[in-house]
Amino acid sequence: MRERLLLSRRRFLSFFLDWISWVYLLYAGFSVHYIRTSPTLIWRPEEKFVLPELGLTDWILVLLVTVELTLLVRSFGVSLGQRAFGVILARADGSPRVGFFPRFGHFLASQLVLLTVGLPVLVRPDRPWHERAAGVALLPRPRGAPRVRPWWTSAYALTGAALAGVTVALGWVVTDIQVGALIRDVDKPARLWRGLSRPDLSYFFVPHPLEVDSIFGALVKSLFMALLATLAGAAIAFPFSFLGARNITATGPVGRVGYALTRGFFNVFRSIESIFWASIFAIWVGFGAFAGTIALFLHTIAALGKLYSEQVEHIDPGPVEAATAAGGNRLQVIKQAVIPQVLPPFLAFTLYRWDINLRMATVVGFVGGGGIGLLLKNFKDGGEWTQVGAVIVTFAVTVWLLDFVSGWVRERIV
Amino acid sequence: MAHLVIERLTKVYERGKVRALTDVSFEVERGEFLVLIGLSGSGKSTLLRCVNRLVEPTSGRVILDGTDVTRLSPRALRRTRRKIGMVFQQFNLVKRSSVLSNVLTGRLGYVSTWRALLGRFPKEDLERARRALSRVGLLEKMYARADELSGGQQQRVGIARALMQEPELLLADEPVSALDPATSHSIMQYLEQMNRDDGVTVLASLHFLSLARRYGTRIIALKDGQVVFDGPPGAIDNAKFKEIYGEDAEEVEVR
Repeated sequence: MRERLLLSRRRFLSFFLDWISWVYLLYAGFSVHYIRTSPTLIWRPEEKFVLPELGLTDWILVLLVTVELTLLVRSFGVSLGQRAFGVILARADGSPRVGFFPRFGHFLASQLVLLTVGLPVLVRPDRPWHERAAGVALLPRPRGAPRVRPWWTSAYALTGAALAGVTVALGWVVTDIQVGALIRDVDKPARLWRGLSRPDLSYFFVPHPLEVDSIFGALVKSLFMALLATLAGAAIAFPFSFLGARNITATGPVGRVGYALTRGFFNVFRSIESIFWASIFAIWVGFGAFAGTIALFLHTIAALGKLYSEQVEHIDPGPVEAATAAGGNRLQVIKQAVIPQVLPPFLAFTLYRWDINLRMATVVGFVGGGGIGLLLKNFKDGGEWTQVGAVIVTFAVTVWLLDFVSGWVRERIV
Repeated sequence: MAHLVIERLTKVYERGKVRALTDVSFEVERGEFLVLIGLSGSGKSTLLRCVNRLVEPTSGRVILDGTDVTRLSPRALRRTRRKIGMVFQQFNLVKRSSVLSNVLTGRLGYVSTWRALLGRFPKEDLERARRALSRVGLLEKMYARADELSGGQQQRVGIARALMQEPELLLADEPVSALDPATSHSIMQYLEQMNRDDGVTVLASLHFLSLARRYGTRIIALKDGQVVFDGPPGAIDNAKFKEIYGEDAEEVEVR
C-alpha cells in the first residue's frame, strides 16, 4: 500500500516536473526573443523591464503544446522528470525493453487521460487504465542498471542542457550584457585611469580644501566605526547566541520558542544589509560616522549571532553531560562546559567580522555613514581622480594589513 | 533498606521507537560493586543515565535512599545529582580547559551560580581539588590542558571530578572501553578503592566479562533491554555466557 502510494507520488511529481520544464523552456525562450527584438528595451536602461504578456488563447495553446510535448518525451524516451524521480516506462511484465508500438500506444492512450482531465490516473493512480491498455507500466528504475547508451543522447540530458542554455540566454539579455562596449569603449574613462595610476597623497594628513577630514583622518574614523560596531555587536550577540543554539535551549516548549525567535531575529536582520540601515540612520541621527556605526552594529549582531549559535551547536556534548550529572544548573553548565569550548572560535569570528566591517564601512559611507567611504564618494563626485586613487590605495593597503594580522591571530587561537 | 531500587524501569526512545529498556527491576545494597554487562545496544548506558535522569525514563521508578528520583523537581534533582558521581567512556572533559577547571566542574552542584559564573570557587574546593588530584596521582598536572594528557590520565581526571562530589553512588559508563588493558586495570582499581575505602556504591557497565568477574561483587546482564542474569560473578558459566552474548561469542581475557 505504502509502495503504491510512493509510486503514484513519483508519477505525479515526475510528470509535473516535465510539464513545468516545457512551460519554462517555451516562455523563457520566447522572452529572450521578445527582449532582443524590442528596440525600446535596448540602450534604454530607464525603460521598465517587461516580460511578454500572453492572452487567454495563447495560454491555452501553451498548455496544449507543453502537455503534448511532455507526453511525447515521456512515451518515447527517459524524460527529465522520470530520471529525477527514478521511474522508467517498462513493459507490463517489468521488462525494460519496450518496442515502438507499445510506446506509441502509450502516447495515444495518454490523450484519453488529457481529454478526461486525468480520470484514469485519479481512479487507479498506481496502475492507470491507459498504461494497461498500451501494455506498459511506469516502474521504479532498477538501481545500478547498466546504461544502454551515452547520456547525451537521452531526452533527460538534452532537456537539462536546454534548460541551462535558455536560462543563461535569458540572463544575458536581462542583464544587458554588451561585450562589444567592454572592448570598444576601453578609453572612455581615460581621465580616471590616469588619476588612479598617479594617486595624489598630498592630502593624506592635511584635509582637502573642500573636505572636513584628511585621508588619514577618514581612515581612522572608518577603523573605529568598524571596531566599535564589532565590539558592541559581539557583546549583544554573545548572550543571545546561547538562546539561538538548539542543543542549549530546545529542551522544553519555552526554550523552543526562544530558539525560534532568536534564530528568526538573526536571519531577518542578517538579510537586511547595512547600507539600508545607514540610509535610515543618516536621516535619524544625521550624516556621519555615528549613523554608519549603528548600521554596521545592527548587521554585526545578526551575523555574529548566527555564527556564534552554530558554533555552540557543534560543541562536544560530553562535558555538558558531565557538568549536568554533577548537579550544575543551566547557567553553570554553560559557563563551565560550553564557553571554554567556543571562546577561541568566537574570538576568531569577531576578528574576521572587524575585517568585514572595515570593508563595509566604505559602502556605508557612500550613503551617509561618514568615514573614508564619504571621502571616496565626494572625490568621485568631484571628478578628482588622483584623490580617488589615493583613497583607494590607502584603503587597499589597510585592508590587506588588517586581513594579514587577523589571519595570523586567528591561526594562533583556534 | 536498599541504597538504590530500580522498579519496572522502561525507556522507549521517541525517535525510531526503540525500546531500550523493558521492565527492568533490581535492588542495590549500600557498598555493592555492581557490574552491568551485555552487548552494545543492550541498554546499559540508558539504564545508568536513567538513574541520574540524564535520560528521562518512560515509566517505572528509580528510588535512591528512599526518594523517588523520577518525581523530583528540577531543583531537587540537581541536589540529588550532587550525591551521584559519574564517569564516562569518553571521559567527557573540556579538552581546552585545565585539569583543575575540569575537576572543579564536580563542585557545580555545591556552589552558587554567581561563583561558577565568575569562576571563583571557594578555597575549600581548591583544596579538595588538590586532594582529589593527588589521590589519582595527577597533582603535578593540575594546570595542564586536559588534551595534553594520555587517555588513562584523562580518565583519572574524570575520577577526580567524580570524587569532588563526595558521592554516595558512582555510575561508571564503560569507564575503560577507550583504554588499553594495562591502563584499564589501574582505572578499575581506583573505582575499587572508592568502593572499598569510601563506601561508595558503584554501578559500572563493562565490556569484558573478565573485568566484571575480577572487580564486581555482583553482576547483572542485560539483553535487548531486559535483565537476563542477576547474581554473583562465579555463577556465570559457559551456558549463561552464550545466552548473554549469543551463540557465536568467545570469551576474551583481559589480564
